[in-house]
Amino acid sequence: MKYVALIYSDEERWDALSEDERRDVYARYTAVASEMQAAGVMAGGNELASTRDATTVRVRGDETLVTDGPYAEVKEALGGFFLLECESEDEALEWAARIPAAEHGAVEVRPTHVDPEEVQL
Amino acid sequence: MKYALLIYGDDAGWVDLPAEERARLRDQELPRWYALFEELNKADPNVLGDELAGRSAGKVVRIRDGERFVTDGPFSETKEYIGGLFTIELPDLDEAIRLASLIPAAESGSIEIRPILQ
Repeated sequence: MKYVALIYSDEERWDALSEDERRDVYARYTAVASEMQAAGVMAGGNELASTRDATTVRVRGDETLVTDGPYAEVKEALGGFFLLECESEDEALEWAARIPAAEHGAVEVRPTHVDPEEVQL
Repeated sequence: MKYALLIYGDDAGWVDLPAEERARLRDQELPRWYALFEELNKADPNVLGDELAGRSAGKVVRIRDGERFVTDGPFSETKEYIGGLFTIELPDLDEAIRLASLIPAAESGSIEIRPILQ
């Protein structure tokens, strides 16, 4: 079953890190990603640019409204995600707990399989 | 440049609809999604997309002082929450905006475009 682990953290915290500290954080991500790979659960993942570089698009009637900035100004923003192929939710949660941002931010785990009854289009 | 198109919407009204009505609306909108997939594939044959299960299916994990806490999701307290995403390689932001505006969910929710760092 495929799960997405959405990584939320405080962008100001990241901005305040030194070059060395950032290198350490990236090293930890690389390490956990390699472990996911070795365990055969890694199905993808991406780091997103800061919400400062976000653009939001809405269509209302015939109009396309484009605004600079994220969908919502929040303290802890989505900063990236992993796609995990796991046997169970528990296994996905185990991996989510090993993502470094879980220690100061939060990681939300959601299945990508959808009950057609519930799906919103 | 590679972009993430994050789809934000609100399923509050949706889950209250009778099942037949949801099925009818879904069938009605499917051709637009298939047309979108075709358009995205034309722009980047390696486009990836995932639809996420509803907000109640989410769990949020935090580690504090070495202890693991798991709570029911979603993490975000905003009215709309992320329900799916695409990652796609595009020449520029204008093209990302054009494609984002074709996502049916842009008409009721919002599409947030974010560059992907590589």
